[in-house]
Amino acid sequence: MNPLSIDPKNLPLVNGEQFQGNLSQILLLVILLGTAAYLLLQHGLVKSKMMAWAGGGLFAFAALMAFMSIPMQLESVVRICFSILAVAGGVAFITAREPVHAALGFATAVLSACGVMFMQSAYFIAAATMIVYAGATIIIFLFVLMFAQKSNLQWYDVQLIRPVIAAGVATSLLFAIAWSVSEPGEILPIKLDLTRPYSLAAPGSAPGQALPPVPESTMSQAQLSEFVPAKTSGLGRSMFTDYLLAIELAGTVLLVATIGAIVLAQNPERDPS
Amino acid sequence: MINSLLEYWPVLWPTLAAIAVILAVVPFLGLYMTFIERKVAAYVQDRVGPNRVGPFGLFQAVADGIKIFLKEQLIPDHVYTALYFIAPAFSLITAMFALVVMPFGPVATDYAGGFRFMVAPGIDIGILMMLAISSLSAYGIIVGGWASNNKYSIYGAIRSCAQFISYEIPLGLSILGVIAIAGSLNIERIVAVQSASILDWNVFWQPVAMLVFFTSALAETNRLPFDLPECEQELVGGFHTEYSGIKFVLYFLAEYTHIVTVSFLTALLFLGGWHFPGLPGPSGASTLVLLLGLLVLLVKVSLVVMVIILLRWSLPRFRFDQLMGLAWKGLIPLALANLVGVAVVLTLGLPKHLLIATAVLPVLAAYYSATKFNASMADENISKKGLSPRGAVSYE
Repeated sequence: MNPLSIDPKNLPLVNGEQFQGNLSQILLLVILLGTAAYLLLQHGLVKSKMMAWAGGGLFAFAALMAFMSIPMQLESVVRICFSILAVAGGVAFITAREPVHAALGFATAVLSACGVMFMQSAYFIAAATMIVYAGATIIIFLFVLMFAQKSNLQWYDVQLIRPVIAAGVATSLLFAIAWSVSEPGEILPIKLDLTRPYSLAAPGSAPGQALPPVPESTMSQAQLSEFVPAKTSGLGRSMFTDYLLAIELAGTVLLVATIGAIVLAQNPERDPS
Repeated sequence: MINSLLEYWPVLWPTLAAIAVILAVVPFLGLYMTFIERKVAAYVQDRVGPNRVGPFGLFQAVADGIKIFLKEQLIPDHVYTALYFIAPAFSLITAMFALVVMPFGPVATDYAGGFRFMVAPGIDIGILMMLAISSLSAYGIIVGGWASNNKYSIYGAIRSCAQFISYEIPLGLSILGVIAIAGSLNIERIVAVQSASILDWNVFWQPVAMLVFFTSALAETNRLPFDLPECEQELVGGFHTEYSGIKFVLYFLAEYTHIVTVSFLTALLFLGGWHFPGLPGPSGASTLVLLLGLLVLLVKVSLVVMVIILLRWSLPRFRFDQLMGLAWKGLIPLALANLVGVAVVLTLGLPKHLLIATAVLPVLAAYYSATKFNASMADENISKKGLSPRGAVSYE
């Protein structure tokens, strides 16, 4: 049972702006973007690289126009800059011939996406993405790419074999995301069990020191209903109360993967002779 | 635009002032830390050190700075130019950007208006943000090493990759206990929890966490016991072989900024920050008390800096397998054991000072690795066959 009657609109986690578009606008946008991606992926098939870039740019511009026609609030210049940078990083990722440049483009895209998340006040997700993707995963990619750099690249290394399939899959994914974002639906209220303060031991504060509020089990119902939880602790509570099963399952999968990695990474036994 | 600037000026100027302080102080600090380092090195090695320029050689750092700025811009023919220029700048940007969420003086947790010793106070994820940004500082080194298009540079960059990824894990794990008891990721709050008495300083109940944190943070700064990405005997200069003049200085400014960050974090997270017995907290305090708090913090930070500099001149460099062994077989199990201790204490509601008992963990680990080392040395069968003795990796 939800002990709190929190209006979901007041919660800092969910009050993003509404994306309002109809199906035709979204379809137009997605198809234009998919064509742009297809043209950008053409290394060698379209003989002139300039042609491919010009065509890709044209379609991207058209997609931008279609995007602008969808009524949305984009009041923040910084967020628009981050979004453009993310798209540019993605384009660099799929078009770069040098694998290291592609990895750096991916890093740019991830970091810019983190910037967008920061602008949306999703601090924890942004920082976690930065640590996991930009800080660890892409660095491991770079690590591997650096070892491989000196080998002679063949045509099949730098050129996509079936750009139609790649662009098609990407376009359908994009459509799914755009459709699910635009679908007007009720956002479920976040159920926070504030009566169980895990790991919130009362800090020993000196006199005259105000600390940011934490929910206490001694608080009355009226106090609790006025209480707005800190974003990160609210996320943590939700993860370990509402979504406990999912978290545990994900943890189990990761544990199994770790064991598998250890087994695979072991040296084969040396021949004793 | 102008109107909205004027409207927001009362909340804008403390931030701008804090940014100005950081931008002004950090390069100056970097310059003078080279001087202090040379002086300390000289005393360790029974020399005098720089003593010609100005009183006690104090202007040596300024002279070095002028010399470096006037150096020729040397760009080797074989580098990838764009990334070659971006890499050192990115290195310094990430190093300084991490200071955004770091309080460099007493910050009250009620966030009253006026000047605060912090650029972005009240960020909910403070310490996590810091880890996130400093995890990006590997890019400067990796990209620089790759763009130099030189075998030694790329070996340095690859070593740096492996070192960064390995040491980030104990770095994050070690502070989890502190975060769990403070109940917040916010650095100001973690400091405020240590305010009651000197025994509340985190070092007194999280000694292992401090050891692990300090060691792995030191590894992230590429300083001497961990400076394999740039070790001169094997790799000429490592990732910065092709860099000279101002670009080289950017790399080293980044390294010294990292040292400052590590020292501040150690002082804030484990040594009580700006708290000292008898000194009231920063909330609603007078300017004098705030300045005293600043002084206390700076003294603690300079002590940590001194330890870091002295470590450089007392410890030899690790071998690469020792470096990896220290992170994966030494620090990560220690940090995990410490975390289990914190979890037990929190769940059972025991007093947190029982955690001082975790101080035996490093001793046990050292004893274990020593016995293992002796056993492997005694095993003659292995050494006869010419295989490397197993477990001959010293952890501490």
